Formats: sequence, C-alpha cells, structure tokens
Amino acid sequence: MFSAIGSSVRNQITSLFYGLGFFFQVLKETSRFFRRKQVGYKVLTMQILFTGFEALAVCGILAVAIGAALIIIGSSQLPKFGQSQLMYSILIIVITRELGPLLTAFVITARSGTAIATQLGTMVVNHEIEAYISVGLNPISYLVVPRFIGMVVSMLVLTVYFNLFGLLGSFIVVQLIRPIPIQEYLVELLRAMRVSDILSGMLKALIFGVIVSVVSSYQGFSVNRASTEIPVAGIKAVGQSFVLIILADVFVTLVQYAG
Amino acid sequence: MPAERSETEAPPVELIDVTVINGSYQILDQVNIVFPADSCSVIMGTAGSGKSTLLKVAAGLTIPTHGKVLVAGRDLYHFTSRQEQDYQADSGFVFQDSALWQDTSILDNVAMPLYINQPGKEKKEIYGLVSSCLRRLGYDEEVNVRPVDLSIGEQKLVSIARGIIHEPSIIFMDDPTGNLDDDATEHLFEVLGSLKTRKATIVITTNNTDLAYKFADYLGVIKNGKLLAFGCYDECLAKAEMLLSGSLARLKSRGQRACAPTDASEENTGRSEL
Repeated sequence: MFSAIGSSVRNQITSLFYGLGFFFQVLKETSRFFRRKQVGYKVLTMQILFTGFEALAVCGILAVAIGAALIIIGSSQLPKFGQSQLMYSILIIVITRELGPLLTAFVITARSGTAIATQLGTMVVNHEIEAYISVGLNPISYLVVPRFIGMVVSMLVLTVYFNLFGLLGSFIVVQLIRPIPIQEYLVELLRAMRVSDILSGMLKALIFGVIVSVVSSYQGFSVNRASTEIPVAGIKAVGQSFVLIILADVFVTLVQYAG
Repeated sequence: MPAERSETEAPPVELIDVTVINGSYQILDQVNIVFPADSCSVIMGTAGSGKSTLLKVAAGLTIPTHGKVLVAGRDLYHFTSRQEQDYQADSGFVFQDSALWQDTSILDNVAMPLYINQPGKEKKEIYGLVSSCLRRLGYDEEVNVRPVDLSIGEQKLVSIARGIIHEPSIIFMDDPTGNLDDDATEHLFEVLGSLKTRKATIVITTNNTDLAYKFADYLGVIKNGKLLAFGCYDECLAKAEMLLSGSLARLKSRGQRACAPTDASEENTGRSEL
C-alpha cells in the first residue's frame, strides 16, 4: 500500500513539474509570438471568435439574470437591517470583483476549455502535431500560444461585458420594484465603485484566462495514442481548471483583503 | 564507427544504440544505422517490427529512451530549438496515415513547408507550385477542399506532396505506397526517380518489393525492433538469406543488382551482423 501511495505521489509531483515546464514554455513562446514570421494569426483570430464572440450571448443572459437576482435579494433583505444604501456597493463588489470574472471563467472553461483539450487531443491521435514538428513548426508557438492569447483577451473582454450586463440587469429589475431615472442609478453605481474593484476583477480575469488556456492545452497534449483518451482529457481540463480557478480566486481575494 | 569526423564528411543521419521503450513494450532495441547521403535507403520488416518508430527517431519526431541521433555528425539532442526546427524544415516526412491537418485546406496543407521555408513567396506562385507538385503525383482535383473530402488514397498523395514540395535534402517516407492504387504508385515511382536524380537523401520504410527493387541503394531488415541487416542492396539480400520469407523472398527472386558500397555502407554492414 505504501509503495502504491509513494508511486501515486511521485506521479503527481512529476506531472506538476511537467505542467510548470509547459507553462513556462508557453510564456517563453508568447514573448516571441509577434516577432516571428511563422505566427498563427489565423488560429488567434479563430480563438477570439470562438471563445469571445460566440460566448457573448450566454454571458449576456447569465449576467442579466445574476444582476437581477442580486437586486431582488438585496432589495428584499437589506431594508430589514436598515442598510438599503449598501445595495449599490454590494452590486459592484459581487459583480465586478467576484461573479463577473468567476462565472465568465466557468463559461469559458465549459465551452472553450473542453474544445481546446479535445481538439489538441484529436490532433495528437491523428499525428497532426507530429506533422507540424516535421515541417519545422513548434506546436507550442503555433497551436498553444494563439489559443493562450486569444483566451486571455477574450476572458478580459467578456468580463467587462459581463459586468456591464450584470449592472444593466439589476437596473431593469430596479425599474420594476422602484422606478428611478437611469442617471440616478448610474450616479449611485459610480459613487459606490472604486478603481480597485475594477482592477481586482480584471486581475482575476487575467489569471483565470491563463489557467484555463494552459490547463486545457496541457491536457490536450497529454493524450498519448488512443482516441478514448480524448474525452478523458476534456474532463480533466474542466475539473482541474475549476479547482485552480477557485483556488486562485481565494488567493487573490485573500491578498487584497488581508493586505 | 568513426570516432572523429568533420561535419562535411559526416552522414546526414546516424542512429547510435537507439532503444525505444513505450511502457513495458520495447519497440527498438539498440539500433545502429547510418543513412548514406544522396542515396535511397529502404527498410523492410513485418508489421510491428519498429519501422515507423525508426523513421520517426531519425527525423527527430520521437525521442529514444536510450541512444543518440547524429545529424551531420552532431547530436540532435544537443541542438537548440532553432537548429532542431531548421533540421526538420530541411527534411520532409511522409506519414503512414497521411496525418493531414484536418482544419486546413489541401492547398495550405501542401504549402505549409513553403510558408515556413520561403515566407516571401507570392500566393500565386505557391498555388502554382502546389498544383504542379500534386499533378506530378496524379492528383488533379480541387485544392481548396478539406482532407475529409478526399479518399484515403488521395490523402496519401497530398501527404507525399507536403513531404517533397520544398525540395528537402532529406526525405523520410513511411510506407509511401500504402493506400495507393497502381496508377498512383506509378506516379510516385516517377517522383522518386526524379528525387534520386537530384541527389536527395531518401529513407523509406515499406514492404513494397517493387519500390525496394527499383529504388533501394541500401536495404535494411528490421525484426522485433532489432536491425538484422543494413547494407547495399545485394549485400543485404545475401546476408538476409537465412531470414528469407515473404517480401524478402520475392525481392531475392528478382535477381542481383549492381552494388555501389560507400564508406557508410561498410560502417553499417560492420555493425549490423545477422
């Protein structure tokens, strides 16, 4: 039993080091991306289109619904404690600092993380990755880096979009409960908003984008030979991304509030 | 094996004590082989004997568990990533199962080595080169379709075109006649003839006796991951007598051919005793 545990721990540590090595390789190739002639602009454009543009609808609906739910809960609970004036602060903090980046990252993981892992895994099985190497193309710089950049850019843009729609959703519900002019609503929101709220949300979006893209690509490349490994890679990409996103979220929040 | 050689004298690719183990399965077992320059080396062996892995190790696509790969006398695993990419860009590889990029058109699949090696080329010129290369191989269909729209045989032709379009100095072909009909095979033979004329170094794994008979300057026999023999054509066939069966027997029955041994063949035959 001890030998089995030891072997499992050793495998996990090896896998961790491989993952870190892969991450640094991605960072290194990213720094060279725009200077190279052999760049995958087409892959980058397609990634932004798929991860960013095609996720606008689902993120928009989710954001409006979350904003609406928050205002309904807040407007029914806060007056009981005589704290109605906190509504706008809670909206800003919950949406821009937490739910905006977190839910956007979950949507991106579910849509694009699985897509990247299964697509790269299929390419490994079909020897397409070897074919890239055989013509002198580095698969990390040609396949992973455009996905990495595309996903990080999409994550940042979608988070801003989510925040706008989340706050818009709450405005729509406010009109149903206690109609107020949009100017007044915006002024109250802006008064409650601090630069640190926006920066915190964007920092999280950046970190989550890095996590999802690197984990998904790594899992895609970890497929060995069999097509049955491809769905497993997709599942691992989602599971590991979710865990790392939540851990990173807790860590960033802890640093900001403890600091 | 020569201890010291200058880069100009060194063979284009040399494998030294190469062993490949995947899990508990040994694919190659201490293979030593020198692929002589400007000649066609053909490796024959039964299915699962390790031919494809041997080719991939030589091309730098598979890293062996033990052993070294020397490219022009220099250890491939001490290359910088730039040097490794340059080696791969200057070589062509034809995969057994075509390995075309499925999300890319036939035109871009074949043109990719040109985009990398000759980035300044005009699109029109690239289109012309791709079309002419495909036509030489007997493919005259649309080039703006995806690989999934082609038959397996047509995909193989496209894969061959991708491997040779940039006129690489070393060409690796893994079972190039697999999935090809007789007409396509004839076209391939014409192309191989012209590659030999322009003195490319060609390494082929196959069980096609016609191909081996017509083009092999050097012949190798691999079985269960061990290189049993490698040398100039007739020498190797003579050595492989005790192994004769199937395709080797058919090759033997076609008779002797002129043998042109070189330094490299002497090294190989010295190391790969039956």
